[in-house]
Amino acid sequence: MAPLHDWAYLVTAVAGLTVVTVLTRGSFFMLPASVSLPERVERALRYAPACALAAIVTPTVLTRDHHLYLAWDNYQLWAVLAATGVFLLRRNMLVMMVVGMAVFTALRLLG
Amino acid sequence: MAPLTPAIGVWGLVTGVAMVNAGLTVPIALLVTFTVYAGSAQLATLPLLAAGAPLPVVWVTALLVNLRFVIFAAASRKAFVRLPLRQRLVAGYLNGDLGFALFSRRFGDVGEHGTPEQFGYFYGCAGINWLAWQVASVAGILLGNLAPTDWGLDLGAVLALVAVIIPMAQRFPAVAGVVVTVVCSVLTVGMPMRLGLLVSVLAGVGVAVAAEAWREPRTAAPPAGRGAFAEGQR
Repeated sequence: MAPLHDWAYLVTAVAGLTVVTVLTRGSFFMLPASVSLPERVERALRYAPACALAAIVTPTVLTRDHHLYLAWDNYQLWAVLAATGVFLLRRNMLVMMVVGMAVFTALRLLG
Repeated sequence: MAPLTPAIGVWGLVTGVAMVNAGLTVPIALLVTFTVYAGSAQLATLPLLAAGAPLPVVWVTALLVNLRFVIFAAASRKAFVRLPLRQRLVAGYLNGDLGFALFSRRFGDVGEHGTPEQFGYFYGCAGINWLAWQVASVAGILLGNLAPTDWGLDLGAVLALVAVIIPMAQRFPAVAGVVVTVVCSVLTVGMPMRLGLLVSVLAGVGVAVAAEAWREPRTAAPPAGRGAFAEGQR
């Protein structure tokens, strides 16, 4: 937990993250009108966010100690699978989160 | 806009709780919410910050997650390009998922750009969005500080991100890209400095682009914000 009390690290990280927000959201508002987004580039950009988020979530849910972790006691995995199913059916974030939390808590208490 | 406020509230609350549960102190979490103001990027970088990942990796991850905003900016720039620099910066900062989706749904096809009606609508939505988000985030930060960490509330961050990924991955190329990213993430999880993350994203994007060229060679891309992101939050 040491890094989370390292103020210099965190404040630098947050400053950089703010710059990233401003640069991406403001990008084409700042560029001259003659500069446009080529279609090929736009295609690639369209897929990057979903892939980046998947790359963040995967190690948390599917691995432990740098190895694939498909086991009965990986409660997070079952909770995420149940929540994903609910979201696909209901399209309701609140309901899916409640179901995911409930599955996780039930497994933790019973398991 | 008003019917969407509860959705923003839930999302802000989850992000606030997740930040504190990941180990951020309350002052730092407040600093993040008032400056970064980008929920998915905040949630995505949390595990990296918690692990003390190198700063360039943290920033590049946020950049990748935020690349969709570049498309939004390109698609809605016509209304804003004639404004003074400072106002363009402010409008850009406020041009998140929801504001963009509503704005382009309403004014995407109009002939005249930059009318007072458009600015009124944009800043009205953006203001409500900002306020609902900040109130909910601060509430989440304070609540998360009270709750014990073993309640599985950090699972909330993972679930919230899954709820963002699914609406983005509706068509075949995006699904293929996400699946490849997941597999690569497992295979590369041991790489130093979290480089596996970048490798996996590159592989996923590459496969998605190739899949699009293969499956939908001549279909024009749908207007940004109406297809892949219309349902997504921030």
